[in-house]
Amino acid sequence: MKELIENLKNEIIESLNLEDVTPDQIEADTPLFVEGLGLDSIDALELIVLLEKKYGLKIDTAEEGKRILYSVRTIAENIIRSRNP
Amino acid sequence: MSICIKGTGIVSPQKTFHDGGFPDEVVEYRGIRYLKCIEPPYREYIDPMTGRRMSRIVRMGICAAKKCLQDAHVTMPDAIITGTGLGCIEDTEKFLTSVIRNGERLLNPTPFIQSTHNTISSAIALSIKCHSYNSTYVHRGFSFENALRDGIMFLHENPDSNVLVGGLDEITDHSYLIMSRMGFWKRKPIDNLALLEYGDRGSVPGEGVSFFMLGNRTDDDRNCVRIRASDILYKPQSEEYITLKLQQFLAGQDAGGIKPDLLLFGLNGDPRSDSIYHNIHNILFRDCNLAYYKHLCGEYDTSVTFALWLATMILRHQQVPDVIKLKAFEPGEINNILIYNHVHGINHSFMLITRC
Repeated sequence: MKELIENLKNEIIESLNLEDVTPDQIEADTPLFVEGLGLDSIDALELIVLLEKKYGLKIDTAEEGKRILYSVRTIAENIIRSRNP
Repeated sequence: MSICIKGTGIVSPQKTFHDGGFPDEVVEYRGIRYLKCIEPPYREYIDPMTGRRMSRIVRMGICAAKKCLQDAHVTMPDAIITGTGLGCIEDTEKFLTSVIRNGERLLNPTPFIQSTHNTISSAIALSIKCHSYNSTYVHRGFSFENALRDGIMFLHENPDSNVLVGGLDEITDHSYLIMSRMGFWKRKPIDNLALLEYGDRGSVPGEGVSFFMLGNRTDDDRNCVRIRASDILYKPQSEEYITLKLQQFLAGQDAGGIKPDLLLFGLNGDPRSDSIYHNIHNILFRDCNLAYYKHLCGEYDTSVTFALWLATMILRHQQVPDVIKLKAFEPGEINNILIYNHVHGINHSFMLITRC
């Protein structure tokens, strides 16, 4: 889990081109959108593509998206859950 | 139609992104296949969080536009109008490559969103919170000319307005290769300052982003330069026809006609397209000073904007850089500059630029 969280932080920074952000600055439980990292709806689309491509994690509905993409930890938990259904 | 150029902002392969006239130092590129822009300090003009999704041409566009606003002392334009031949071609390539690689599935949204031709004018509007008229013209070698025409019409309808008009194009490896196969570019690497000495077919491609703040009047008469007239010719039937149209263009500007003090022609090192420039110089303007500019910026659909910026600097500062002088050079006051450019022999344009 810890290793997956660290990998996710690096991948989020790279795919969203967050030049001024380091992995240490992203807390696993901090919200990614709006008040947290300040990501927006286009970032959400980029993350959906990233997670499906890299981890096979599919997000089918907006509600599911809100829940899964809430923080790095919720993403990691859902990736692990999708691997061990 | 005389329209005032109140300010400029330009990013080019030369060190042009600064305050003042033509740069003191000319950048020489040796053994190159194309000319790329010297990029401005983005962080001074674009918030990193906002700029992270922007491609190079969008960033350069925002910087040039903001520089132009500063130069013109205008905080909010009444219209933003751009012209581009290929638009955001880098993002278009990214998107299409990803379509092919991923079998039309799992496509990243950013390159798609940013790949449209009007991305730059929209990004400028968003960055300065401008909710006014916004338009982009994509007409290959006439893209800037038509944007300019729209800007002039806007000023006729809204005489007290400030209109931000720009021309921009970028070069990428893919577009270079495709157009090389079509025979547009020289086969071997070249030195840009020796562009006219090679004698073989093809030119050198380039890129650039230029913005001009247009208005009917200015508060700063010392720096005022006017676009007195402009015209375009699409696929003219012969050199004689172009010569006739150019004569009529100049004769139509004044009762006695206008004799330009300087000709700024779009010679690009390809003998197939340069002969018309030499012939027109010999027939109509044998004793007139002739200068060229594409060895500094390369050939692209909106390269005429580099000439317009250059003409503006020459008229403002009354200095003709040695590096652009070609024929019959005599020192003297320069009040009128004739720009004549054509793109691949298809899109021909004339502009008469004068001091106020």
